[in-house]
Amino acid sequence: MRYAPAIAVGKLVRIAARLRKPGGGSAIPGLIVNRIAPGYLKRTLSGFPQGLVVVSGSSGKSTTTKMLVAILRAHDVSIFTNPSTANISQGLTSALLEQADWRGRVPGDVAVLEMDEGHGALVMQGVDARVVALTNVMVDQIDRFHDSEMVAGMLARIAARAGEAVVLNADDAYLERLAARVAPGVAVHRFGVSAAVLAAAPRGLGNTETSERRLDPADGVVVERVDGASAVLLDDGVEHPTGLPARGIHYAVDAAAAYATARAVLGERFSADAAVAALSSIPPVFGRGERVRIRDQDVDFVLVQNPASYQLNIDAIPVGTEQILFAIGSDVRDPSYFWPVDASSLDRVSIVSGSKAAEAALMLTYDGVEIDRIETDLGRALDDFLAAPAPARGVKTIVFTADSMRRTRAHLGLTEAE
Amino acid sequence: MTFTIVSLLPGTQNTNGDAQNATVLERRAEWAGIAARTVLVERAAELPAEIDAIVLGSGSDASLVRSRDTLRTMHDELRRWGTEGVPILGIGTGWELLSWGIEHRDGSAIEGLGILPGRAVPRDGRVTGDAVVATARFGQLVGFENHARDYVGAEASPLGRLRAGEGNGRASGQEGVVMGSVIGTHLHGPVLAKNPAFADALLRIMAERRGIAYEPGERAATVDGYAAAARAAQLRAAGIEVDPAA
Ligand SMILES: [Zn+2]
Repeated sequence: MRYAPAIAVGKLVRIAARLRKPGGGSAIPGLIVNRIAPGYLKRTLSGFPQGLVVVSGSSGKSTTTKMLVAILRAHDVSIFTNPSTANISQGLTSALLEQADWRGRVPGDVAVLEMDEGHGALVMQGVDARVVALTNVMVDQIDRFHDSEMVAGMLARIAARAGEAVVLNADDAYLERLAARVAPGVAVHRFGVSAAVLAAAPRGLGNTETSERRLDPADGVVVERVDGASAVLLDDGVEHPTGLPARGIHYAVDAAAAYATARAVLGERFSADAAVAALSSIPPVFGRGERVRIRDQDVDFVLVQNPASYQLNIDAIPVGTEQILFAIGSDVRDPSYFWPVDASSLDRVSIVSGSKAAEAALMLTYDGVEIDRIETDLGRALDDFLAAPAPARGVKTIVFTADSMRRTRAHLGLTEAE
Repeated sequence: MTFTIVSLLPGTQNTNGDAQNATVLERRAEWAGIAARTVLVERAAELPAEIDAIVLGSGSDASLVRSRDTLRTMHDELRRWGTEGVPILGIGTGWELLSWGIEHRDGSAIEGLGILPGRAVPRDGRVTGDAVVATARFGQLVGFENHARDYVGAEASPLGRLRAGEGNGRASGQEGVVMGSVIGTHLHGPVLAKNPAFADALLRIMAERRGIAYEPGERAATVDGYAAAARAAQLRAAGIEVDPAA
C-alpha cells in the first residue's frame, strides 16, 4: 500500500498525457513517480516472484530480449518486459505503471528487461537480478562513453547485480575478462559461434575485441552453422535447427544468447524443442528496422545506432537497391566513429538528409557511393523520396539514426514503434 | 607510378575512423589521375619497401603498450621515412606514441618512439568537442577532439593556433606538432576529408617527392562542396563566424 498515492498520481498523469497526445506514452508519469516515491522502481523490479532478468550490452540487446521473452512465454511463464525505448529509469517506471494496479503491483512471474549499458549501471543500483545476460562490448556513442574500457566497466557493474547467473558472449574478450571477476556462487553460462561461422563472417563479429579461442561445445551453447535465416544451435551435444527473424550471423548469436539465458532462468523446466519453436516463430524483421506501408507503398526502415549495427544493416540491404534515403540527425554529435564502416555496397543514394547531411555525404562519397541529391530539410526529403516513382526492383529504403527516425515518424504521422 | 599509403595498426588504432584518412588520400589521388593503394600494416613484415604516406590513428589506452611495442619493431623505418620527408599523420594516441612519451596521473609513463618532440601529460578531465585551428601551411582546420591528456613540448613547432577547443592545453593556445612532414594532432576522425586543403598539401608533398604534379581532380570539387558545408555547420556550432574564403 505504501506506493498507492504515488501510483495514483502517476496513472492520472499518464491518462492526462494520453488524452493530450493520443498514442504518446511519455516518460513524464515515470519521472513524477520516481520523484515522489523514489523506492518504487527498485522495489518493484526486485519483487517479481521468479525474479528479474536483465539483458544488456552494446548491440543486439533488443532482439535478444524479444527472443528471450518469446521462449519464456512458450514455457507458460508470464512476463513483464519493457519496450526497448523505455530502458532508462523514467521510461522503465512508466512502463511498470502501464501494467500496475492501483497499489503499484505489476503482474508477471518474471521481469525481463532490456537495459541500456550507460543508464543500466545507474538504474540497477540496489536492484537484485537473478540472471544478467550480456551481448557484447562495442564502442557505442563515443561522446557518451569514450572507449571500450568504460563500456566494459559499466557492464561489469550491471553484471555484479546478478545473484544466480551471468550469461555472456564467449566470443567477446572484454566479457570473458569480466567472467573472471564474477562473485563466488554466481554461475557463468556462455554462448558463442563455431570456428566455421566466424570464418564465414565477412567482417568478423563486430566485437571490440574478439576472443582468441572459440567456445568449446562442452562449455555452452554454440552457433554451429548459419544458413540465411536459419541456424543450428549446438547444446549439450545435440543439434537444434532453428529459424531466425532475418538473415545474418548476428541474429543467430542473439538466438544463442536468448536460448542460453532461458535455460539459465528455467533450469529443469527448460525444453530445447519449445525454445527453438519459439525462436522460429518470431516474425521476420527487415534490417534492424521494419517494413512500413506509407502512401500506398512499402518502405524499409533501417535504424543505425552504432558502428556495428550500421555495418550489419548496410550489409543486409540487398545490393542493387535503387532508392535509398540516408539521414543522420543531431543525435550524432561527431560522425567520425561511423567512418570505419564500409558502405560501398550501397553504390548509390538518392537523397542524403538530416542536420548532419553534409557529414554523411562526405562519408558516403569517400566510400565510393554516388549521391544524387542533398536535402537538409528532412520533411521535404521524405516527401520527394516517397513521391518518386516506384523502383524497378527492391523496396525504397530509409537508413536513419534515432533522431532522424523520430522526425521521420512524426512527419509521416506514424506512431512510435516498440 | 602508384602512391602507396600505409594505414598503420588499423586493428587497434582506429577508434574514430582516423585510419580512413588513408582512404581520403587514396581517393583524392585517384580523382587527380594518380594511381594509389592503401596497405594495412599490423606487423613490421607487412611494411612495403617504398611508401608515400603513413596514417596512424588513435586507439584506447588499454592498447597503448601493445601498440607501442609493435611500433618499436618499425622504429628505424619510421624514423628514416620521417627524415626523408614522407608525410606521417599521427592522430590522438597514435600521435602520442610517436612522441617522447606518455605520462599517467599515477606517475608511471610509457616511452614513445621519439619521432616527434614533446610528450603527453595528464589533464583534468576529458575534453570532447569542436576544435578549430589556424595553420600557416594547411589553412584553417576544423575537426573534433576527444582526449584525456594535454601535450607539452610542441611550443616551438605547433601545427597551429587554436580558434576554438582545448588542443594541446595548459593554456598554450596551440594545437598539434609538426616536424617536417611528420604531423601530430588531436583532430580525430576523417580530418583530411573535412579539410581538403590539408589533404591536398600532403598529396603535393607526396607528388613532389615522386617528381610529378598534383592538381585536385574534378570529382574533388563536388566532394569539397560537402566538406565546405560540414565545416560551415561545425564552425557555427563552435561559435566562429564563417568566412567564406577560409
Ligand atoms: Zn576516446
